[in-house]
Amino acid sequence: MDEIIVGVTGINASDNPAPGIGVARSLKEDKGLKVKIAGLAYDAMEPGIYMDWFIDKSFLIPYPTASYEALMERLLYIKQNFGLDVVVPTLDTELPFFIKYRSELEGYGIRTFLPSEEQFRLRSKERLAAIAEQSGLQAPKQAVVTSYNELTKAVQDIGLPVMVKGALYKAYRASTLEESMAYFGKIVAQLGYPVIIQQAVTGEEMNVIGVGDGAGNVPGRVAVKKMSVTESGKIWTGVTILHPALLEATQRFVAMTRWRGAFEVECIVDQETVYLIEINPRFPAWVYFATGVGVNLPAMLLKQALGEKVDVAGEYQAGKLYIRYTNEQVCDMARFQNIVTRGES
Amino acid sequence: MINNRVARLAVNEEGFVFDPQTGESFTVNETGKAILKALIESKEKEAIAMTLTEQFEVSLSEAQTDVRDFIDHMRSYQLL
Repeated sequence: MDEIIVGVTGINASDNPAPGIGVARSLKEDKGLKVKIAGLAYDAMEPGIYMDWFIDKSFLIPYPTASYEALMERLLYIKQNFGLDVVVPTLDTELPFFIKYRSELEGYGIRTFLPSEEQFRLRSKERLAAIAEQSGLQAPKQAVVTSYNELTKAVQDIGLPVMVKGALYKAYRASTLEESMAYFGKIVAQLGYPVIIQQAVTGEEMNVIGVGDGAGNVPGRVAVKKMSVTESGKIWTGVTILHPALLEATQRFVAMTRWRGAFEVECIVDQETVYLIEINPRFPAWVYFATGVGVNLPAMLLKQALGEKVDVAGEYQAGKLYIRYTNEQVCDMARFQNIVTRGES
Repeated sequence: MINNRVARLAVNEEGFVFDPQTGESFTVNETGKAILKALIESKEKEAIAMTLTEQFEVSLSEAQTDVRDFIDHMRSYQLL
């Protein structure tokens, strides 16, 4: 296979890690692929820029929410000067841009493998209940609110405690109406409207990640239980599981939506009841866990972006453990200077 | 008396038990391990108690109590 240059975003491997490093590491480890990784960063201090064993060259890019022209221009600059065959966006806020301009990017020779706009809308938090019902899962009661009056009514209808969530990020557990109001204000100030008020269900947090082929099939998926999480709820240790109801529901969700690309199905499982909490249209930061148990989802995604047929992965083993750890690196200041002054490493 | 969840449990020689469906794990002592393995093999309570009297220095009534207690524990974790 010819060398493929893949742009990967979300290389911020910090205490609240983004998925980019897991994606890059997985692509590098696939024996059937020969890839060079272009790290696409928003800040010169993103650790991935300095992790040259996974990231071959890094570029600063403008935020997709800032201006369409600026980001498109930057991607074309990278295409011309380094090469860029495929982009794997890994952050929620980037997806609308890459989904909307998929054809245009493909016209420039930059491929992606993403859900359609309709699929992206289907899994939004506002429409979660319908997806849950059609997938055979339970959905916690929820309401979409845009004012304190609506918030008060929602809390009364749903009952305390509730989860107060932003449309894309952030989730807080509130045990009183006053607490929910404080979180509402915090989310609106940071992320704007709407805010989602959701019944706080109890149980074990279990997630499934995978790739849909766009025709209703799932060539690869892995389910895990979070064993310990960071303060912001990110997995620190986890274990693979084979939960039949969870895996069957995932299969139904992909078949029903004909999902194309990466996904993460977040659930809370209380004995036999599986609550659907969220569907993320991208890989999570722990995507390397799947690769480590023999299901290389980023490689599957890349091959599909390149139009190759992907075989269904064999079953993984339940009981494989995932442990994160922190690490340090020392390098010359010149590397930081380069990225700051030239915008590339 | 046995449900699928017990049948799926993986038990190692040190008494570490892993539930592949939920990711839960726990440990059992030698007696617990013997009872659990017998439950996984779908053995009846009486037969399990008899086996305990052969493996450990314990009377039949004590063994029956142990088996009953263990099964109650498993039920409280909804594994039975």
